[in-house]
Amino acid sequence: MFTPEAKAELRRQFGLDDPPLVQYVKYIGSLAKFDLGLSFSTRRPVINELKERLPNTMVLFLSSFVLTTMIGISVGVYTASKRGTFADSFVTGAGLFAYAVPSFWIQLLLLMLFGYYIPILPIHGTMSAPPPDGFFLQLLDRIHHLILPAGSNVVIAFGSWALYTRNTMLEALGQDYIVTARAKGLHEKTVLRHHALRSVLPPIVTLIFSALPGMVAGAVITETIFSWHGVGKYLLDAVMQQDYPAAQGAFYLIALAVVTCNLAADVVYGIVDPRIRVGEGGAK
Amino acid sequence: MSKNKTQTKIGAPTFWEQYRRKPLGMVGLAIVSLYVFVAIFAPYLTPYTPKEILLADRIAAPAWFRSILPKFADAPSSVRISLGSQEWTVSEAVGGGLAPAESDDSPLSVIQFEPFVRDEVVSEEEIDVLEVEEYPKEPEQGVVTLSYTLPYNYSAPKTFGLTFNYWIEAPSDSKTELEFVIETPEGKRYSLWGKSASGQLANQPARIDSRDLSLKQRLGMTIFDDPAPRIFSSRGDYSLLLIARTIPGEEPTRVYISDPEFYIPGTVHGLLGADHMGADLWTQLVYGTRISLSIGLSAAAISVAVGTAVGIISGYLGGVVDEFIMRIVDVLMAIPDLPILIILGALLGKSVWNIVLLISAFAWMGTARLVRSQTLSLRERVFVEAAKASGASDAYVMIIHILPNVLPLVFAGMVLRIPSAILTEAALSFLGLGDPRVATWGRMLHNARGFGAFTTLAWWWLVPPGLAITFLSLAFVFIGNTVNEILNPRYRERS
Repeated sequence: MFTPEAKAELRRQFGLDDPPLVQYVKYIGSLAKFDLGLSFSTRRPVINELKERLPNTMVLFLSSFVLTTMIGISVGVYTASKRGTFADSFVTGAGLFAYAVPSFWIQLLLLMLFGYYIPILPIHGTMSAPPPDGFFLQLLDRIHHLILPAGSNVVIAFGSWALYTRNTMLEALGQDYIVTARAKGLHEKTVLRHHALRSVLPPIVTLIFSALPGMVAGAVITETIFSWHGVGKYLLDAVMQQDYPAAQGAFYLIALAVVTCNLAADVVYGIVDPRIRVGEGGAK
Repeated sequence: MSKNKTQTKIGAPTFWEQYRRKPLGMVGLAIVSLYVFVAIFAPYLTPYTPKEILLADRIAAPAWFRSILPKFADAPSSVRISLGSQEWTVSEAVGGGLAPAESDDSPLSVIQFEPFVRDEVVSEEEIDVLEVEEYPKEPEQGVVTLSYTLPYNYSAPKTFGLTFNYWIEAPSDSKTELEFVIETPEGKRYSLWGKSASGQLANQPARIDSRDLSLKQRLGMTIFDDPAPRIFSSRGDYSLLLIARTIPGEEPTRVYISDPEFYIPGTVHGLLGADHMGADLWTQLVYGTRISLSIGLSAAAISVAVGTAVGIISGYLGGVVDEFIMRIVDVLMAIPDLPILIILGALLGKSVWNIVLLISAFAWMGTARLVRSQTLSLRERVFVEAAKASGASDAYVMIIHILPNVLPLVFAGMVLRIPSAILTEAALSFLGLGDPRVATWGRMLHNARGFGAFTTLAWWWLVPPGLAITFLSLAFVFIGNTVNEILNPRYRERS
C-alpha cells in the first residue's frame, strides 16, 4: 500500500522511530504544552479543534449546572416546608427516579416530544446554519438551541438535588434554634431562608461540587444526542473513527476538567465549612 | 450463603421475616422475579428470535394500535404465503396442467404441457417451413394459469414482494412464457413479471419487489409512483396468477416453480411493532432482559468482590500497602468513568464480556473504601487479637474473621451496585459500543435514534426499552435499600 519511503516518512512524522521511552517522555512533555498532535482524520492540530468546541461545551455545562442546582435547591426548600403534600411526594419520587432512569432515554424522549411531535425546538447543533444577522438575533438563536440540551439536563438531575436539600432541610428544621426562631415570632419564610437554609447550605454546596465530575462525563451523552458541537461529542466521534490523537486529546481535556472540579470541591468544602480549615471536630 | 450467616447472626427475627414486612422491598423482589422469569423463559414468550428480520415493514407499529388509534384502524399486518402445489388452483388449462404433487406440502409445483404431435409423414421441405412457423398445422399454444385467491381487507400496504425459483425442461424447438399477474377485486390486471425462453432454462430466481424501478417501468409508472398502494387500493379477493404459455415442441414441456413466497410486510406487527429491519421489538425487549440482568449481576458481583478483597487487605495490613492501594483508589475515582469506558470499550472490542470487565474495573473503588473503613475498626476488636494470639496467619484472620463481618455491608452494596452497572451498560450500548451480536435495551435505543424512530415519530420503539431499564433499576434500588435498612441500619445514608 505504501512505498518504504512513504512509510519511513510517516513514521518520522508521527515520531515512531524513537524508542518507546523517549516517545513517552516526548508525549508527556507535549501534553504539558497542550500540543496534542495531529488528528488522523482532519490532519489539523487536535488542540485547535478542541479550542473550537470548548466554549460550546462550557456554555452547555455551566447553564445546565447553574439551572439544575438553583431549581433543585429551591424545590427542595419549598417541599421541606410542605411536608406530606403532593409536592413533597413528587420530589421524593423524582429523586428516586433520577437514580434509576437512564438519563439518555429521558433526553431522547424530550427530543422526540419537542423536536418532532411538537416541533418548537431545534433538534441538533449549537446554532442555525446560516446564522441569523445581528448579534441579538444570534444570541437568541443560540439560546433557542440551548433550551433542549440544558433543559433536559435539568429535568434529569434536579430531582436528586431537591431530595437531598429537602432531607437536610427537614433535619435542620427539627433543631432547637429553629424552634427559638419561630418562638420569636419570625415569619416562616425568614425562618426557612435565613435560619434553616443557611445552616444546610455547606453540605449541599460540597455535594454539588463533588458531583461536578459526573456531570462533565455526562456531557458525552448529552452532546451526542443533541449533536452539540462540543468536546464530548468530539471524543465519541474520534473513538468511532479510531482517530487516536483526537480521542486522547479530548479525553485529556475532560480528565483535566474532572481533576479541576475535584480540586474545586476540596477548596469549596474548606470555604463553606470553616471547621474543616481549622481542623477541629464540631458537635455536628 | 451470606444470607444464612446473617440469619444466624441476627438471631430472633430472621432476615427474611424482617424483609417480608417491608412493602418496597417486596415490590422490588416481585419486579426482579418477573424479569428473571422473562429472561429464563424468553424463547417461550415470543415466537421469533432477535435475529429474524423482515417480519414486517420497517418501523411497523404495534398491532394493538389498530383498536385504539384510528390512523392504524385497518393497517395491514404481515401477509406471508408459501404457495406450494396444494395452494394453487388451476383456473385455466389448455394443452397441459399441473402435475400431481409429490407430497401434500410440496413447495414445488410442476406445470406440464403435452408435446406437439406432428403428422407422421413430413417432408424435409415442410420441416423448414415449420421452423419459421408458417406451417399451416402450427402447434396450438398451451396455457396453464395457476391462481391463488388472497382476501385482503386492510388499508393499502407500503410494499409487497414475491420470490420463487423456476426452471424449464423443454425441447429446443419449444417456446415458453411465464407471467405473474395480480388481479384486483375490480378485475383490473397488473402484470408484474414476465419471462420468455426458448427451450431449456436452468434454475434461476425471480424476485419481484414493488419498490423496483424496473417493475414501475413495466407498469408504466414513474419512479415516484408507488405500485403497492395502487394495486392494493381496494378490499376484497385479489387473485395472484401465475400464467405459463408454451408453444410445445416434440417433447413434453415442464415448468418447475419452487418455493414461491408472496409477502406483504405489515405496517403493524406484534406487541411492540418492528424496527428498521423488520425485526420484532418485543422479542428484542424480552431477550434484552437476559443481557441486562446478566451484565448487571456479574459486573456488580465482580466489582464488589474485588472491592471487598482490596478493602480487607488494605485495611487489615495497613501501612505502606494501605497507603499505596488508597492512592490508586483515589486516582481511579478521579478518572471520569464514562469517557474512559468509551475509549477502552472501543480499543478492546465490542463484546459482552469486555463490557462486564470494564464496568467492574471502574466500579470497585467505592466498595474498597467502605470495606477498608469497616476493616480498620474490626481489626482492633478482641476476637481478632485472640485469633492472632493463637497463631492465626494474616490470610486466615482476613478470611475467617474479617470477611464474614463485612459481608452484610457488602451484600447490600452489591445490590445497589447493580442498577448503575445496568445503566452504564445501556449507555455504552446506546453510544454504539455494545456487542453488535446481541439484542440489548441500549442497542434498541441506539437503533431507534440512528434508524428513523424520530422522523417516523415511532415512540413505541423508544419508550419500552427505557421503561424496562427504569423498572429493573428501581427494583434493585428498593431491594438494596431494604437490605441495608435491615442489615446495616447505621449505614443507611451511605451508597
